[in-house]
Amino acid sequence: MAPTRRRQLRTLGALALGLSLTLAACGGDDEGVPIDDAPADDTEDPGAADDDPDADEAPRGTLIAAISGEPDQFDPHATSAYASFQVLENVYDTLVAPDADGEFQPSLATEWDTSDDGLTWTFTLREGVTFHDGSDFTAADVVYSFNRIIDDEMANAFRFASVDEISAADDHTVVITLTEPTPALLANIGGFKGMSIIPEGAADEVDLATEAVGTGPFELGTLGAGGITITAYDEYWGGPASIEAVEFRYIGEATTALTALRTGEIHWTDNIPPQDIDGLGDESGIEVGVSPSVDYWYVALNQAVEPWDQIEARQAVAFGINRQQVVDVAQFGAATVNQTAIPEDSFWYHDYTPFDHDPGQARQLLDAAGVDEGQPLGLMVVQDTEGVQAAQVIESNLAEIGIDVTIEQEPSSTWLDRQAEGEFDAFMWSWLGNLDPFDFYHAQHYSEGGFNAQGYHNDELDGLLEQAAAETDQDARKALYDQAAELIAGEASYIYLYNPDVVQAWADGLGGYEIRPDRAINFENVTLPE
Amino acid sequence: MNDETRGGGPTGAAGPTQPGATDRLGATDRLDVVGDKHRPRWQETLLLLARNPMAVAASLVLLLLVLVGVLGEWLAPYGYNEQFVGGQLESPSTDHWFGTDEFGRDVFSRVLMGAEVSLRVGAVAVGISLVAGVLIGLFAGYFGRWLDDALMRFMDMLFAFPALLMAIAVLAILGRGENNAMIAIGIVYTPIFARVTRASVLSVREEVFIRASRASGAGSLRIIFRHVLPNAAPPIIVQTTISLAFAILSEAALSFVGLGTQPPNPSWGLMLSEGRGFVEHAWWMALFPGLAIFFVVLAFNVLGDALRDVLDPRQRSVLTGKGAGR
Repeated sequence: MAPTRRRQLRTLGALALGLSLTLAACGGDDEGVPIDDAPADDTEDPGAADDDPDADEAPRGTLIAAISGEPDQFDPHATSAYASFQVLENVYDTLVAPDADGEFQPSLATEWDTSDDGLTWTFTLREGVTFHDGSDFTAADVVYSFNRIIDDEMANAFRFASVDEISAADDHTVVITLTEPTPALLANIGGFKGMSIIPEGAADEVDLATEAVGTGPFELGTLGAGGITITAYDEYWGGPASIEAVEFRYIGEATTALTALRTGEIHWTDNIPPQDIDGLGDESGIEVGVSPSVDYWYVALNQAVEPWDQIEARQAVAFGINRQQVVDVAQFGAATVNQTAIPEDSFWYHDYTPFDHDPGQARQLLDAAGVDEGQPLGLMVVQDTEGVQAAQVIESNLAEIGIDVTIEQEPSSTWLDRQAEGEFDAFMWSWLGNLDPFDFYHAQHYSEGGFNAQGYHNDELDGLLEQAAAETDQDARKALYDQAAELIAGEASYIYLYNPDVVQAWADGLGGYEIRPDRAINFENVTLPE
Repeated sequence: MNDETRGGGPTGAAGPTQPGATDRLGATDRLDVVGDKHRPRWQETLLLLARNPMAVAASLVLLLLVLVGVLGEWLAPYGYNEQFVGGQLESPSTDHWFGTDEFGRDVFSRVLMGAEVSLRVGAVAVGISLVAGVLIGLFAGYFGRWLDDALMRFMDMLFAFPALLMAIAVLAILGRGENNAMIAIGIVYTPIFARVTRASVLSVREEVFIRASRASGAGSLRIIFRHVLPNAAPPIIVQTTISLAFAILSEAALSFVGLGTQPPNPSWGLMLSEGRGFVEHAWWMALFPGLAIFFVVLAFNVLGDALRDVLDPRQRSVLTGKGAGR
C-alpha cells in the first residue's frame, strides 16, 4: 500500500499535498491470527503478566492490544496508515503534541515564541532527551527531520508549504522562518506522529520502514507476522512507562477481537462491531469508551464528468442521501450527522445544514439539471470498511430519486490510484485526525489543492482559503473558514455525511488510559488490571 | 448419446459383444442392458432414478431452486436492496417471513433472489471446468505419451493446492467479484474433470469398437468426439452433479470472505457472512441463507450419488435386475 501511496504523491508533483491520515482503518485482511510468540501466561491471566526477568522494578507487565489493521511500514514520515501510527504514537515524539482537547502542549519543545510579524517561530528544545540508540537529541535532528519531509516530498510535505527555512540557532534552539503568517503551524508540525523527530542521518543508517529510532516511551521490537511488540525505553525523558511492553496484535475481524477481549486474551481493542457497542457497556469485565472524533466521512462527485459538473446535480445527491439512515446502519448510531466537515465539539464548528433529506427536492433539481431517471453513478469505496455499509444505504436512497448506483469496492491502493487518475464517478472515504480547519478544507477544495480529486474550482473559495491560512486573529479566521465551509458544502464539492465516534473497549481495571478524539492511542501511563 | 454412438458409424462393430465377454466393465455391458430393453438409455436412467425416493426428493429441491432462480425477482415480496427505515433487525413475522437485516431489508426476498446467484455461479463455474477439464482429459487420455504427461502433471500441480486457497489466490490476481469468482471456481475444479475424463477414456480407447473405427480410417478428432467421449460420459455426468454442489459451496465461501458476490447483491454466502456478526441480535439473518445452502448442496450430493448408482454398470445391472453375466 505504501509504495503506491508514494507513487501517487510523486505523480502529483511538488504540490502533492499528502493525504495525511485519510487512510481509514483499512482492515483489509480478515485473518486475525493471534500470534503465538506471546507470553503464554498472558493469554490465560492478563493480570499476572510478568515474565521479564530483567525487570529491575516491581512487575509492570505487558499490555496486549488488538488493532484492526496491519501497519504497512514504520517510517513515520512515509506511512499514512492509521495502523502504523497506532504503534508509532508510542515510539516517536514531535516538537509539540495535542492534548485530549486538541490544544498543543510542549513535548520535545518546551516553549516557543512568535515574532510580531508572525514570520519567525523560535522553539526551545528539551534538554537531556536521548534517542533509543543512546544519542542525544539536538536541534540538528529537528532540522534534519523536517528537511527530510520537505526535500523527499514525503506525505506531509504540504504542511511546510509556507516554511521558508528551518535552522538551528544553537544545540537547543530551532528557528522556523515563514513566507507568510501561518497560525496553523503548531498543528502542522505536531498534529500527529507523521511529523516525528528522527536522529540526524537516520534515513541513511537504518531501514526506517522496519526499525525505529525515536525518543518516545517505547522502543520498536521485532516484527512478527501477526503483531509487533514495543518495549519500554527506560531512559525516556518523561520517565519510564508504567508498563514493560505493549504487544499489538492484528485482528481484522471485529467479532474475533471482541471475543478475545471477552476471554481476557487481550486488554484493549478499537475494533468493535458497531452493533455490539450498546450491549457492551452492561457486560462485566469490559469497559467501553465512546468519544466524538475529529474524523469525517464524505462522498465526492467527479466534477469533470457529466452531469456532476452541474451544481444542481450534485446538490440533488446531497438532498437524496438520508444521513441519519446511513449513521444508523453503518455505525449503529455511534456517529453524529454533519453537513460540514468539522465536528460539533470543535471551536471551528459551523452550524450549516442546507441539505436535509428531501427526495422530492432532489428530483426537482435533477430535472432542472436535465438528468434522466436511471442515471448511472459508480460509487467507489474502500473494501472492508464501514463505507461498504454506508454505500448500500446510499444506493437505496438514490434509487428513490432515479440514480442507479453501482458500488465499486476497491483495495485502498487501487482506490487511491483511481482517485489520483480521476477514473471515477464518485468516491467515498473518510479523513482522520485533522485538528486545524486548514487540514479539513484546504488541500481538498483549493483549486490547485493536492486532494481536490473531485475537481472543484471556485475563485471566491480560493481567495477565502488563502486569506484564512494566513489570518492570525482566531475569530476572524473562523469567520473566513465558516464562509468557506458554506461554499464547499453548499456547492457540494464534498457531500459531508457524518463524524463517527471513537469507540474503544478495554478490560475492566485497566488504568491510566485516555480515549481521544484524534484517535491517538497512548499507552505510556497505563496500568494493567489486577 | 450412447444410442447415437451405437446406431451409426463403425462402432456398430461393438454391438455383438457378449455379456461378460470382457473383465473390464466398459461400454460393452452397458450396451447390453439397453439393447435388451429396446428403450433409449436416458429413459431407462430416468426410470431407475425415479425408483429412488431420495433422488426424487433431491430433484424436487433442485427443480424448486431452478424455479426460484429464474422467477425469484417476481416471487420476492420486496426488492433485494429495498430498505425499511426504522425496520432494522425485525424478527420473522407475517410481513417479513424471514425477518429483516441490519439495513431493514427483507431476508426472505434476499434468500429467494440469492438462488439465482448460486445457480448462475454454479452453472457457469462448472461449465468452465467441465469444458476445460473434459477437453484436457480427452486429449491426455486418448493420445497418451508426452501429451498425457504434460497435461496431467499440470493438472496435478493445480490439484496440489487446497481448492479454496487456490480460488482465493486466483481472485487475488483477478480482483474480487462474482464473475471472477466463477472463473476462479472453474479453474479450481478443472483438474477433477480432467482426471475423471482421462480415467474413463483410458478404458474406452482400448475397446474393440474404437480400434475398429481407427482401422477403418476415422480421424482422431472424429473418434474422440463421436465415439470416445459418449462412451466415457457417465462418470463425467456424475462428477458434474457433485461439482455443482461444490461450486455453490465455494461461491458461498468466497462471498463469505468478501471475495465473491459484492454487496448489495444477495448471495447466500455473503448473507451468512453479514449475519454472523448479528447472531446474538438477529439469528434469522444467518439461519435462513445457511439453510438454503444446506438444502441445495445436500440435494446435489444426493442426486449425484443416485446418478452414480444408476450409471455405474455394476450397480445398474443390479438395479435393472439383470445380472451382468456374473
